[in-house]
Amino acid sequence: MASDSHHPQHPSISQYWKIAGLLAVLTAIEVSLFYIDDALELGALNVAMLLILAALKFVIVVGWYMHLRFERPMLNRFFAAGFILALGLYGVVLAAMGIVAIRGS
Amino acid sequence: MTDVAARPVTTIYRKPRSETGLWSWITTVDHKRIGTMYGYAAFFFFLLGGIEALLLRVHLAQANSEFLTAGAYNSLFTMHGTTMIFLFVMPASAAFFNYLLPLQLGARDVAFPRLNALSWWVFFFGAIFLYSSFIFGTAFAPMTPDGVTGNIPINGGPGAFDFLASSPNGGWFGYQPHAGPFYSTGTAMDYWSMGLQILGLASLISSVNFIVTVFNMRAKGMRLLRMPVFAWMTTVVAFLMLFSLPIIAVALFMATFDRQFGSTFFQATNGGDPILWQHLFWLFGHPEVYILILPAMGIVSEVIPTFSRKPLFGYSAVVFAGAAIAFLGFGVWAHHMFASGISPVAQAAFGLATMTIAVPTGIKIFNWLGTIWLGKIKFTTPMLFSIGFVAMFVIGGLSGVTHAVVPSDWQQTDTYYIVAHFHYVLFGGAIFGLFSGLYYWYPKLRGRMMNERLGKLHFWLMLIGMNLTFAPMHWLGLQGMVRRTWKYPEEAGLQTWNQVETVGAFIIALSILVFMYNWWRSKTHGEPSGLDPWDARTIEWMTPNPTPEYNFAVPPVVESLDDFWRRKYAEDEEGRAVRRPEADQVIAELEEIGNNPPQPIHLPNPSYFPFLVGLGITIISYGIIYHTTAWGKALIVGGALLTMASFIGWGIEPLEDEPEDHTPEHLEPAEAL
Amino acid sequence: MAEAVHPEAHGHAEHESTGVDSRKLGMWLFLSSEFLFFGALITNYLLYSNRTGFNIYPREVYDIPFTSVSSFVLLMSSLTMVLAHNAVARDDQPQARTWLFATAALGSVFLAGQVFEFTEFIVHYDMKLTTNPVASAFYVLTGFHGLHVAIGVFMLLSLWGISRFKGRLSEEKGMNVEMVGLYWHFVDIIWIVIFTVVYLIDAARV
Repeated sequence: MASDSHHPQHPSISQYWKIAGLLAVLTAIEVSLFYIDDALELGALNVAMLLILAALKFVIVVGWYMHLRFERPMLNRFFAAGFILALGLYGVVLAAMGIVAIRGS
Repeated sequence: MTDVAARPVTTIYRKPRSETGLWSWITTVDHKRIGTMYGYAAFFFFLLGGIEALLLRVHLAQANSEFLTAGAYNSLFTMHGTTMIFLFVMPASAAFFNYLLPLQLGARDVAFPRLNALSWWVFFFGAIFLYSSFIFGTAFAPMTPDGVTGNIPINGGPGAFDFLASSPNGGWFGYQPHAGPFYSTGTAMDYWSMGLQILGLASLISSVNFIVTVFNMRAKGMRLLRMPVFAWMTTVVAFLMLFSLPIIAVALFMATFDRQFGSTFFQATNGGDPILWQHLFWLFGHPEVYILILPAMGIVSEVIPTFSRKPLFGYSAVVFAGAAIAFLGFGVWAHHMFASGISPVAQAAFGLATMTIAVPTGIKIFNWLGTIWLGKIKFTTPMLFSIGFVAMFVIGGLSGVTHAVVPSDWQQTDTYYIVAHFHYVLFGGAIFGLFSGLYYWYPKLRGRMMNERLGKLHFWLMLIGMNLTFAPMHWLGLQGMVRRTWKYPEEAGLQTWNQVETVGAFIIALSILVFMYNWWRSKTHGEPSGLDPWDARTIEWMTPNPTPEYNFAVPPVVESLDDFWRRKYAEDEEGRAVRRPEADQVIAELEEIGNNPPQPIHLPNPSYFPFLVGLGITIISYGIIYHTTAWGKALIVGGALLTMASFIGWGIEPLEDEPEDHTPEHLEPAEAL
Repeated sequence: MAEAVHPEAHGHAEHESTGVDSRKLGMWLFLSSEFLFFGALITNYLLYSNRTGFNIYPREVYDIPFTSVSSFVLLMSSLTMVLAHNAVARDDQPQARTWLFATAALGSVFLAGQVFEFTEFIVHYDMKLTTNPVASAFYVLTGFHGLHVAIGVFMLLSLWGISRFKGRLSEEKGMNVEMVGLYWHFVDIIWIVIFTVVYLIDAARV
């Protein structure tokens, strides 16, 4: 059993605070986007931007706070497997149940 | 879960040797004992499910039969299916996983022995919970359109065994809205949805445990692609459970909310969509099919090479085919829904996807045949069951392909043709595989052999009985006999074959009696097996029989696939196996060392917290069913407190569930075998 | 856990293993399966939220400023969690306890916010669990998330209590803090998804 790299390269305390600051900024952008959209009616673009921001926050928390960046790739794969499987399966369910069609109409 | 360092680290308990009695079974964390309990519980429910099937068969032997009341009939077919799937095949597979996985990996135990005990106790209480519906459950007539139940008994009609009608009655897949609050009034289906929820939790916990065990507990040299195929199939099944059980958990929670708290997820009367239930159920339900069959395929992949005296033909192909079946198994769920009005595109896509599953399945079949081909075949009882598995599974698999053809499936949906199909794969497949495993590994449990003559009698009776029972269902179904229907008319001309089926069912029952007698008698009268009764290939046979509590006195070091075989046999120039001169010496040494460990062996502590947590969760579940009453609320609170207190106790109990604690200390590598 | 991390030191080199601590591996596997759990609940919500004809939709009653604040609170609890873990790694017991407690407190604030939000919806807008499937889907989704938070708070307080009354949390046993931490961050990322997909994007359609 190779040593489980306990935390040699884990972020330092000040980095943790900076990451939190970044997360706060991203959240602020998200919420303001929501209000800007009220005025601009960006529609799909707004949805896309919100999703990208959420994905960024997701990756930051998983990668740095959960240390997944510093773990063995195996954990990454297992975790991604569940996420991708969920996206795929439920995407098909929603498509099969006509959510796309109803949105279009 | 939680622990502190301040506790003295010297509290490594040595498990008392003379542990017997009820308390030792309640607190045990030994994977073999847990596996044994799983096995006996599974067999008990196999008998119950079998009795339910016999009652159904007696009823159906006559056109317009009134042997059972309609309500009792509904309950019996529901509980037969639910029992056989969730209370028999799954725990029976779990019994094999538990007993064999650590042995096949060369480990002392699973990665988390206490979580393993938790899985078992959650299963145990969940099973009791489900079956307690026969006593506590109620089932009334559907609500009238204006929402009046009036507590009208569901039956009142002709027939007997009406008292059975209080148990779940909505079919094993609990289709909505039939199983919802308006059509299944009373608590029967609440017991079903909460009961499956508990059972699912048990399987989820064990799936995590088995995966971690496989990845972190293998003996030195046991690379992933040196693992026995059964260990591989365990891994694949664990992944299937890991990813499919959360889906059914949500579906069952939603059904419970519909029934208990007035939501209307699946109730079209208030904008709900019953098709969502079907999607969620079969998203789980189809992987579940492979959860049921892959363990048996793993068993067969161990038995056939042993008795063909050849290595498994295409080991890695069999392994990857198993993984491919699992992967594809997630993408075919809607073939259960071809008749539900899903779009033509979805029908075509899922039909095609379903056909592709035949490819990896076919690979496995041909690999087994390739293993048997030109082998020195020994027709022992386990081998007969494995060959029976291959033959019956091919029949069931082929009728399965006919369901993938959408127009053909429309004709077959909800007929006995479907019933024939899944009994060929699950009875002819899974159950034959499980019996094969029972005969094959019985010596590991008892140190004795089961009687071959009785075993063969069992096999032939079961083979004949099963074909008499399920083969006629093919043509009865195509003639239009509808499943889950209380009566069929005399003019339909279905009665003769139904009577043949009933005779077949009783032949199966007879074969099971033969098996039980054999099992019981072999405990005292069986031939002593010694360490290697079958001239086996895999390392679980490198421990004495019955298996000592510590499994391997000295952890093995593995150098190849089929490592035990390698120690006994070499290859000559033409690739034929030649028994090494020292083979008998190797076995004798294994026996000697296995019974006399050179070092004291630390084993994990027994714990009663898994038992208490399982109990607490079950008490909460009872409380949810009766949550409108004061005592129901009290049950929820009491159960939650018990669960939380037990978890805290679990957390501060001396920890012994780390892999390293199970191995002898200060063991020099040179001493390893 | 020291043994699991450095097995060679104890002469236990006889396992083939991935090199990842068993508990950590198990926790990641469990979290991975949780995607399927929350995925089903979110799917359920999206399905009904896109169906027409219900008398009331959660997106019509969302209080986005309020939820933004409570989301922020939960997000920041990930910071305090990771600081607690870091303090355990440095063997700074008082700090570890402080941050554990702070995390539990922030989680409780989030839960209180959820209770307030549910009450608002039920009392002021008459949107109950039984009103229609989209309302049910909202309550069941956010409710199950809340249940996860509550379980997390329970585990954090257990760690805190054990550290306070029974002894210290150490680097070796820090795996426990790490396990609870992984769980806690996961609950947070699920909320990141819910906040964006179920709240912001859905409410943008009103």
